[in-house]
Amino acid sequence: MIKVENLSKVFTKKDGTKFYAVDKINFNANDGEIVCLLGVNGAGKTTTMRILSTVFQPTEGTAEIQGWDIKKHPDKVRENIGFLSGDTGLYNRLSCREFITYFGRLYSIEDSTIEKRIKEMADLLDMNDFLDKKIEFLSSGMRQKVSIVRSIIHNPPVMIFDEPTAGLDILTARNIVSFIRDCRQSGKCVLFSTHIMREAERLADRIVLIHRGQILADSTLEDLRNISSQKDLDDIFVYYINQFTDEQELRANEF
Amino acid sequence: MNFKHSLVIYRKELMEVLRDKRTIFTTFILPIILYPFIIIGFNSIMIRQTRTLEDRGATVAVKDSVNNAISRQYIRDLMNIKNYTIIPYNKTTPRLYEDKDIQSIVTIRDSIRSDGTQSFKVYIQYDKSKDQSRMVFNKLYEQLSKTEKDLQKEILQSTGISPDLLNLRDVRERDTSSPQKKMGMYLGIFLPYFIIMMLFVGASIVSSDLVAGEKERKTLETLLVSSVGRLEIVCGKYLTIITLAMLNMIVNLISISFSLKFILANQNTDLAGVSLPVNAMLILLIAMIPLATLFAAILLSISTFSRNIKEARSYEQPLLIIAMLLGMVSFFPAIEISNFLALIPVVNIALLFKAVLINEYALSHILITIFSTLFLDLIAILVTIKLFKTESVLFRTEEESSGLKALKIKPKTFFKPYNGILYFSIALIVLYYLGSYWQARDLFSGLIETEIIIIALPVLLTLKLLRLKPKEVLRLKIPKWKSFLFIPFIAISAQIIASIISQLINIIFPFPEKYIDALSHLYNMNEPSWKVFLAIALLPGICEELLFRGFLIRFFEKYSLRWAVVISAILFAAFHLDPFRFVPVLLLGLLLGYLAVRSGSIYSSMFSHLINNGMAFALVTFSDAGWVKFIAKDGENINYWLIAPALIIFCVSLYAFHKATAKGEEICVE
Repeated sequence: MIKVENLSKVFTKKDGTKFYAVDKINFNANDGEIVCLLGVNGAGKTTTMRILSTVFQPTEGTAEIQGWDIKKHPDKVRENIGFLSGDTGLYNRLSCREFITYFGRLYSIEDSTIEKRIKEMADLLDMNDFLDKKIEFLSSGMRQKVSIVRSIIHNPPVMIFDEPTAGLDILTARNIVSFIRDCRQSGKCVLFSTHIMREAERLADRIVLIHRGQILADSTLEDLRNISSQKDLDDIFVYYINQFTDEQELRANEF
Repeated sequence: MNFKHSLVIYRKELMEVLRDKRTIFTTFILPIILYPFIIIGFNSIMIRQTRTLEDRGATVAVKDSVNNAISRQYIRDLMNIKNYTIIPYNKTTPRLYEDKDIQSIVTIRDSIRSDGTQSFKVYIQYDKSKDQSRMVFNKLYEQLSKTEKDLQKEILQSTGISPDLLNLRDVRERDTSSPQKKMGMYLGIFLPYFIIMMLFVGASIVSSDLVAGEKERKTLETLLVSSVGRLEIVCGKYLTIITLAMLNMIVNLISISFSLKFILANQNTDLAGVSLPVNAMLILLIAMIPLATLFAAILLSISTFSRNIKEARSYEQPLLIIAMLLGMVSFFPAIEISNFLALIPVVNIALLFKAVLINEYALSHILITIFSTLFLDLIAILVTIKLFKTESVLFRTEEESSGLKALKIKPKTFFKPYNGILYFSIALIVLYYLGSYWQARDLFSGLIETEIIIIALPVLLTLKLLRLKPKEVLRLKIPKWKSFLFIPFIAISAQIIASIISQLINIIFPFPEKYIDALSHLYNMNEPSWKVFLAIALLPGICEELLFRGFLIRFFEKYSLRWAVVISAILFAAFHLDPFRFVPVLLLGLLLGYLAVRSGSIYSSMFSHLINNGMAFALVTFSDAGWVKFIAKDGENINYWLIAPALIIFCVSLYAFHKATAKGEEICVE
């Protein structure tokens, strides 16, 4: 369960001017639900996810993960989330097993439990052939599987995927997509970000449209279609963006 | 903090590092091959080279302008040197010498002593920059001396005097140093430098990879979102660097000591078979740990700050050069460790090593060295942790500005009480050691150096470094002219009150005589009075105000302006390192703080400080003048009855000042 309240993040640019990467956003994500943060590059998706995973401190507002406040209990929050992004790096000189065990230990999981989970996941994702190989010799598909196991080794109730398929080939991307579905199946709360409309269309129970740090819409695909009277998500997206720009121009003219 | 997590990170980093062939090579294999090659190889090459130079012989041209039996005897003996060809001097000789076909030219000339007897002048022309030519000179000189001795003997014998008469002295040396100590002396010249280099290189092999490398490979974010805390990450990585640095150094040391042993065993000196005592080795090892931790902490902060490995390496280079230069101190003869030098990082370890190797060291040196290094170490670790919590540093992207700009600090985050106390403590330590050292050397120049270099300059540099505006932070604003009018009255009456309080304290707790002596030195420097005025009134007025009422006060404005004035006054009084004057200085500090804050201008307090100190100076300098007699009978003790008018003037002028200055000054610089 994710609850975001009035969350803002201000960055200071080189010339000293401030800009809101995330501007007072609110949204929720429930257990057993896939929520998609949809937006173009630079919309504030990654910043939001970094705040939720406690890597960034919010400038204003806060968020809760499984009831834990991200500002007050960052350690509890980190225990409750699994984080995966498309460009995550791995330690090349470790074997897959060592790599996963390393993170398992950082979550203070018993070695025997880690082993058990590795075995389960390896069977599930068909990883037994390369489990003891060094990561530097693996293909990108294999690497992504290792990353998946790493992100859920502590069986977190909340999963956060930051552009999980970015830069991956079709087959590997399909693995990720089916993994995200599995997460929902097992009752996890899933938040994922993308700029690819098709992915959002296929996966999301609810779509949160984000643009220039602000949320333009937060609803099911069905509702979005009804409101905008557009069928294609591409068109829906453009519809909302246009509305947003019109509003801004209007506001600018008022002064 | 969960130390278990740090250990997990430590173990994983070590495993990763030890799987890297490059690291294995530079840490273990290279030193094992390198030293036997360098030490043994060089040694044998040198011995062989010397021999070949000797065997090669030389061609020497001789010009004999005396040409008698004795000079001919000299030349005949030169001809007997093995492998030497002696040719007579002719026109072509200078050219042959230029072309290096001739290594030396010997000229024998006639000379008459003052008593009329004949003697010879022998000139040996050679090129001192050439090894071979130098060797030829030594050979020729040796042979000429031998011939001279033989001739003297012959002459004495022919006159019937025993040749033993010439041997009036017979010098024998007796060396009281043990072979161990001698070995320590030789080792002390180069070993400290080597060890410092090895520690640095060993640490830098892994450090850049540990954080900058994780940023480059995009694994850092994964680590940050796992349930491990940032402090635990820093700790784990820090231990990894220390371990590798120490490992690298130990492998190097073992390799060096084996190579040295091999050489010494093959030489017929009393150093053969000597080894260093175990306790010296232990002390060295213990002293090395703080240095390893210091290097590790600094390199880790560099690695954290850098975007990628390449950038980290480029920042390491200048640091390595600094460490090298500091480490070279062991090469200089006659520099020995002292309590002061033990405070300088790297230099202290190098000198301590030297002292331990010859078994002449004090426990205080070891302790100061270890603790001063640990202190810097702590600062570097705190910086690293701070960097690890700074988002803009952890996620610096390529487009972002590089360098120190990312360190730009907001005044709000910098001016915290903690930082203020830290700055003050460092300034106090520097004052205590450096300031008193300078002043002991020469009081006048020492005072000026203290005011400018220790008190004022660091403030301006710190502001510059942090890109803060001095004008705003230090309150360098022109105050209202009206308020300025009252300051002389306030300052003079306050000085009288403070002096009387000081005198009263003196009655209750008499000052030791030594102390009064030292104080009178201050005013009776052997310098013209304008110089004394400069050193004890003008410069303190400007520099101390910059530090206390300009800079330090800002750190405590978080509480309230009132508290900031009080705390800065306490620090001001403490800074004088003088328990007897603590109370009067504290009161003056309160007044100066009030003046600066109330008028919003540091010039007010500078002006007052100048008058306060100037008055104390005037009372002593012009002690015979009538107006001084009016204030103080003997130029020292202020007349007590003055307290009443002084209090009245003080209250009135302070009230007027208060009225003249508007209320409502900004609390903290934004």
